[in-house]
This record gives sequence, C-alpha cells and structure tokens, in this order.
Amino acid sequence: MFIEICDIKKAFGEGESRVEVLKGISFELEKGEFCVLLGPSGSGKSTLLNIIGGIDRADSGHISIGGEKTADMNEKALTRYRRKHLGYIFQMYNLIPNLNIKENIEVGAYLSDNPLNVDDILKTLGLYEHRHKLPNQLSGGQQQRTAIGRAIVKNPDILLCDEPTGALDYNTSKEILRLIETVNQKYGSTVIMVTHNDAIKNMADRVVKLRDGVIRKNTLNEHKQSADELDW
Amino acid sequence: MRDPLNRRILREIKGEAGKYAVIFIFMVALIGIASGYFIADESLKVAYDNSFADYNIEDGNLEFAEKPDSSVLEACEDEDITLCENTYKDAPCDDDSTVRLFTERKKVNKVSLLDGGLPAAEDEIALDRLYMKSNDIQQGDTIVLDGHGYKITGIIALPDYSALYKDISDFMFDTEKFGVGIVTESGFDRVSDSYVHWSYSWKYDDPPAEVFGSEATERGDELVKALAKKAVLTNYIPTCRNSAIKFAGNDLGHDRIMMIVMLDMLIVIIAFVFAVTTSNTITKEANVIGTLRASGYTRFEMIRHYLAAPMIVLLIACIIGNVLGYTVFKDLMADMYLGSYSLVSYKTLWNPNAFIDTTVIPMIILIAINVIMLASKLSLSPLKFIRRDLKRHQRKKAFKLNTKIPIMTRYRLRVLFQNYAGYLTIVVGIFFASVIMLFSQMFSPLIDKFSEDSINSMISRNTYILKAPVPTGDEDAEKFAAGSLKIVRGDFTEDVSVYGISADSRYFHAALGSDAVKVSSAYADKYGLKVGDSITLSDEYGENEYTFDFSGVYEYPSALVVFMDIDFFNETFDMDEGYFSGYFSNRELDDIDEKYIASIVTEDEVTKTSRQLRRSMGNMMSIFVVLGIAVVVLVVYLLSKVMIEKNAQSISVAKILGYEPREISGIYIRTTTIVTVLSFLLCIPLESKALDWLWRAMMMEYPGWLAPDVPASAYIKTVVMGLATYFVTTFLLKRKVNKIPMDEALKNTE
Repeated sequence: MFIEICDIKKAFGEGESRVEVLKGISFELEKGEFCVLLGPSGSGKSTLLNIIGGIDRADSGHISIGGEKTADMNEKALTRYRRKHLGYIFQMYNLIPNLNIKENIEVGAYLSDNPLNVDDILKTLGLYEHRHKLPNQLSGGQQQRTAIGRAIVKNPDILLCDEPTGALDYNTSKEILRLIETVNQKYGSTVIMVTHNDAIKNMADRVVKLRDGVIRKNTLNEHKQSADELDW
Repeated sequence: MRDPLNRRILREIKGEAGKYAVIFIFMVALIGIASGYFIADESLKVAYDNSFADYNIEDGNLEFAEKPDSSVLEACEDEDITLCENTYKDAPCDDDSTVRLFTERKKVNKVSLLDGGLPAAEDEIALDRLYMKSNDIQQGDTIVLDGHGYKITGIIALPDYSALYKDISDFMFDTEKFGVGIVTESGFDRVSDSYVHWSYSWKYDDPPAEVFGSEATERGDELVKALAKKAVLTNYIPTCRNSAIKFAGNDLGHDRIMMIVMLDMLIVIIAFVFAVTTSNTITKEANVIGTLRASGYTRFEMIRHYLAAPMIVLLIACIIGNVLGYTVFKDLMADMYLGSYSLVSYKTLWNPNAFIDTTVIPMIILIAINVIMLASKLSLSPLKFIRRDLKRHQRKKAFKLNTKIPIMTRYRLRVLFQNYAGYLTIVVGIFFASVIMLFSQMFSPLIDKFSEDSINSMISRNTYILKAPVPTGDEDAEKFAAGSLKIVRGDFTEDVSVYGISADSRYFHAALGSDAVKVSSAYADKYGLKVGDSITLSDEYGENEYTFDFSGVYEYPSALVVFMDIDFFNETFDMDEGYFSGYFSNRELDDIDEKYIASIVTEDEVTKTSRQLRRSMGNMMSIFVVLGIAVVVLVVYLLSKVMIEKNAQSISVAKILGYEPREISGIYIRTTTIVTVLSFLLCIPLESKALDWLWRAMMMEYPGWLAPDVPASAYIKTVVMGLATYFVTTFLLKRKVNKIPMDEALKNTE
C-alpha cells in the first residue's frame, strides 16, 4: 500500500466554538491510483488534502506514505517530504506573479534531483509561446496549466489537486482534467483530487465521498471514463 | 455622520504595531534631538545677546605698557568714552595652564555666578565653569596659582570671556590651558606683579546702535587709532573685533541650517517609507477600495483615510519629541555649547520656530509626499481595484533574463525589480545613514592626524613672537618678521599670519622668491589656490590692500599663513631694513626678558585647536552613530518587511512546494542583503564626495582650516557597523518569513 490514511481526526476552535472537521477518516491508495475526494462545502475534504500534503497536522491518526508516517516528521522532514513526493495544484493557481511562465515552472524543477524537461512540458501544456509572459497576462486556463506544469515538472509521486477546475469554465475545465489524466497515466503519479463537481468522479479509480467529516462512501470505479467523456 | 472608516484607523495602527512603533521611536528621538537643539541654541543665543546689557559688556579694551596716570586716562576719555579699570594677572597654575585673575568688576563685564559664592577671603577664588570642567576641578577644591593656594568658592562665567581666548590673535581657544577667575583685592595682590596687565575697558558715552554692526566697527577702529596717539598701548581691541566676546555669539545658531537640512532629509526618507508601506496596504486592500469607490466613496475620502494613520503617528511623535526636546534633549544639546563656551546662565525659552521646524514642516513634507503617492495610486478606476489590476501600464511580457542564469538568481532579480521603489529608498537611506556614521567616524582620526601634522610641520619647536625686536645670544635662534592680515569674504573675515623668512633659513625648507609668496597648505586647500593665482589681503582696519603672486604651497596644515622673504616683507609693510619681530628656535631662549615676549608658539599651542574640537564635539559624534544605526534599522527593516508581506502568498506557495526556509530566505532576504551590502560598498565614493563637500562647506564658515580626510578605517568601521546592524535585523526578517503560514496560499484571493 502506497498511501495509508488511518483514523484521521481534526478539529478547529476551542470550547463551544470547537468544530470537528474530520471525525476518523481511513482509506488506502495504491501507487498510481487516481482518487477523487468528493463532498459538499464543509465536508472536510480540503482539510484532509492539506493533512496529506503535510501543510496541516491531524489531531490524531496517521498518514503513511511509502511506509513513512507524516505524523512522526518534524517541520524539516515534512518540507523534505513535500519536496520529494508532492506536487500541488490549487484552485486559484498561486503562481508567483513576478516570475514569467517558464520561470514559474522552473521553480518546481529546482526542487527535484531529476526534473522533467521544462521546454517539453511547456510544449505539452501548450504554453511554449507564452513562456516569457507574466501570469497576469494569461487566461485562467493557461495559468492553471502553468500551475500543473510547476507541479509535474519535478515528477512527483503524488499530485494533490484542490478544486483545480473550480475557477474555470466548462471547456477549460475539461482541458485541465485531460492534462491531469495524462500526467497520471504518463508519469504514473498518484493523484488525489478534491472537487465538489460530481461528474469528475467518473474519471477516478477511487471515489471517496465525505460528508460532515466522515466517509460516506469509498468505492472503486469500475466504469472509469476518460476526461473527454465527462459531461456536466 | 462621521466617516465610519475612521474607526479602523486605530485598528490599522494596532495591527501594524511593529512598523509604527519603529517609526514612532525613531521620530520621537529625531524630533527630540532637533527640538532640543533649536531650543538650547535659541535660549543660549538670547542669553548671550542679553548679556551685553545684563552684564554691561565693555565696548572695547586697551592695555597700557605701564600703569597709566590719571592724565592719560582723562586724555583717553576725551574721545567720548568712559574707562573702567580691568587690570588682570595671568597667574601660572601648577598644571602648566594659566588663570587670568580679576577682582570683581562691578561696572563693566559683571560676573555671572553660576553656583556657590564669590570669594570673600584672600585665599578664595570663583573660577570659570568651563576651565574647571576641562581640568576636572570641583567646587571646594584648592587650586595653586603662582605658588598660592585658592579655595574654589564659586563657579562663574565672565561675559567678556564667553570664548576662552587667552590672546585675541590666537587661532583657537583652549579651555584646558586657559581660564579666568575672580579673587578679592588681597587675593589679587598675592600673585606676582610680573604677571600684571594694565588693562582698561571702555564704554562709549553714546554707544553705537548695534554691538557688531558696521558703525561699531568703524568707531572702534577710529578710536583705537586716536588712543594710540595719546598713550603707549600694548593692546587695543574694540568688542566688535574681540573673539573672546563675539566668537560664541557667531557660533550660536551657526549649525541651525545644517540641523534643519538633516532633519528634513530624514523626514523625507520617513515619508517615503510611509509611502511604500501605504502603497503595499492599498495593494492588499485593492478589492475593498474598489468596492468602496464603486459604492460612492470619493478619491479624496480614500486619500484622507490612508493618510490618517501616518499623520497621527507623526503628530504624536512630534508632540512627544517636542516635550522631550524642552526637557531631556535641551540639556544635552546645551551641554554641547557649554562644552565649548563659557556662557552666562540662561533660561529655557519657548521657541515657535523650533515648533515650525520640528512639527509643522515635517507634517507638510509627510503630507505632500504621501498625497502625491496616494493620488497617483488611487487614480485608477474602481473596476481596476476590484480586479486587483493596479498596473498603470500593462506589460505584455516580463523583461527577458538570460535563461542561462540559474533560476534562483533570476528569481532574486525579479524580486529586486518588482520592489525597485523600496530598494531605491533603502539605497538612499543607507547612503544617508553612512554619511552620518562616517562623519562621526572620521572625526577622531581627523583630529589626531591634524594634531600630528601640525606638530610635524612646525617650523621650529619654539616660535617666539616679540613685542619689540630684542637680540638673543643663542645661535639656534633665527630672526623672522611676522604680521597679520585679513581675508575678507563678504561679511566673513579671518586672520592670516604673514611671516617674513630669512633667505638662508635653517627652519623653513623652501626657497622663497624676492617678490612672490608661498602659502600654507591649509590656506591653499581652504581657498583652492593654484600656483600663478594672486591673493589679496587687507590690513587690520581695511585701509590697505596687499596683492601677492602666489608661487607655491608650503606644507603647514595648522594655520592660514603667507610666507615671504623677510626683505620683501619689510619692503611691503614699510618696515626698516633688518626689522624682525620674532625668533625660530628649537631651543628655549633663556636670555630674552619675558616682558618682550608676546607669545611662544609651541607644540601645545598648535594642538590646542584639535584638543578643543575633541572636547566640544566629541559627545555629538556618538549621537551621530546612534542616529545612523537607527536610519539603517528603520529603512532596511520596514521596507524589507513590506516586501515580505507583499510576497507572502508566493512565500507560502514556495513552502508548500517544498522549499526550505533557508531557500526562501535566500530568495527574499538575500536579495535585500545583496542590495544592502552593495549599497554600503558602492555608495562609498559618493559618500566620500558628499562628506568632503559638507565638511568644506562647514569649515569655510570657521576661521582656520581642517582639511577633510576620511581614513580607510572610518569607511571600514562604518560598513562594519552598518552591516552588523543589518544582520541583526535579518533575524527579525527571517522570523517574519518563517511565520508566514502555508495556508496563506490556500486563501481564495482573486
């Protein structure tokens, strides 16, 4: 088992304002698996993603990646863990505004001992002719493609996507999903995607449905669709 | 209804407590120092000006060769003056200094008793405050003068010795070697009559309108010429030419302009710091501003709102600074003057000009710079603010950087160009801070070097200036002639010594032509003289002008001197052939009667300027160091903090991506480090020029010359102090970077 998520609990606030966001989440993922975390707002899916990504800590339970428990890691080790294993894609892209498109991807490449070729990625993402532009000169879809480029250029074991199509229109969203699917298939990255778009579950190997901090359903998708086939 | 936005002004100050606290403390200190200086300066100046009436300061004094009889005095009083006896004795002290003793003068030059009481017994004395301070003497101590002990009963200042010039022809006074005191009649008699000077003060029966005006100068000059015909005078000096009386008055208020310029420049830097930080706040709150503007808030209301917090902070800082100026700093600043001058007692006066300079003008500077920035920044449409599109001109592409440059270096360069306004302010701030620190660091070595050069370039170990050309049997002695001329530059005049040197001199190591002159290096440097120039000097009373061809510079840094052949000297000044007025000698000349010696220039004499400068300005230098360090902290810390806050989201993303804290610091803080280090190093030539210009401008207003010379060690110390200060602030900056949470990137900002 590549990723083991075991009885994760997390609460925010103190006393009367304490809210339990995750109430004991457990599931497992194989290497190269495409997992969609589905659920309405406030279900705890982004919190869970942040804990998997090592940018937040669980109150109890543990996450094990390739046999390493993140709960045992100090800040330095968590940084190494993110550096070595993870790629992150955000809803709002979070590109570095004063670096051009190519440099934003190079920022990701710098972290890897064995990065992919930046120009190849720019071409694959259809961004090569825009490589000297600043992020605010590009459309939302182009910015998200850049963010994907930054995440995949270091050839990560795990690609964490937090509502990657949340701010995009239908066509652009499908284009982005196609890219993530390609990354999953071409590079064998394990993908964990948070979304509230029910249609996206159809392209996943595994669908974990959350509601009020608990798993309502953890299913393997027997009739997996390609991104092209999705419709909503 | 009051603007509801006002409610967030105090919250904004509270939220940015660190930033405002740093600026506030700096401003309080700066305004306090400036205000203290202006108040002390003005209060002392008023006390000085009033002292002429309050203490009935003489209109001039003259000295007779022998005790004058009443007929001589009456003849003198025929010139519409009243003479008052002012006899004194220059009593030698055990420590090699001299105390000029007077009995209490009740008509003119009345004593200002600062502490204790006047002497009542023959073995008591009231001594000058500054002489006591310079020699670490306390009230109650006993001082030995001419072998007699005097117990110090009181601390005084004499209004006719506010600058303790022993001799009015001295280039500088020396408060360690010369002081004044009051003793009783019997106490006066204890000291040998060989030290007596038959001095008399005069008061005009119909005094001129102004003590130092042109009328006073003309009448003074006319009078001494008339008196010289009636009696054998060894000295005569109208008050308007008496350095012991007028020097302190000239100096008070002298540095006011420099202080105003320094204050205003620092306020400009602070205003830019506010402008950069406020600009950052506007960027952060762009969508809120857009919404408010779209809702009907006017641009003026927004400008007023964003201007409020800096103005409140500055206004409170100005008020507290002024309060401290009137209480704490006033005494500190007054001490600077009181370390140089023996001033009469003074009262602290309310000074409206100080309030204008330290409160009104800083507020105007702050408002002007920030209104310009805010008006420009807030001129964009509400829609642009809502879209966070605050660029006036959209750039299609980022400027190109060679992709062979490593990504981290390119990243740093992008950070640098993104924050150029902040970095430019840092460069200017560091330049200014360095000049302030360099000024303090150059001071001590400059004084040391001047002192050393002055000793090394002495023509002889002892230079005897004679009252009359008396012979000596000492073969080491070499005759010379000496006189004094004046350089007149507008209202400013200063004395130049003129030496006539023997053609075959053993002491003067340069050939002098028969009709040209050489000038001392101090003179040439001060007035930028070049070989071939001619110099024009006037005599004491401006009746005659003398023009000389200038043929070269003689290395003599301690005074302004013209050297010429002795025959040329006698011919020029209508002296008899063979005339001389002094001796150069490396040995002491024992066979000349002391009554014929006007003065002896020794090592002590040529180094007294440096001693006095160190005493009077030494304390000021440590204030400059603190001020410079404060500017570095203020500018570098605040602007770096703004840059870090501006890039908080990028820093947060970098953390999530797996960048280590040192790598993130390497991008954001190392860029500042590089700019700071380069600023400290590359500004050195500019600082050198600025300091040279500043020092020369300052020294041009003083008699004499101290050539600007910044030793390498001063630059090294300044850079080391500046960088050490910076590296301490980087700890705070690193903490700031480390504290940026990773969830900053997860906030859905558009």
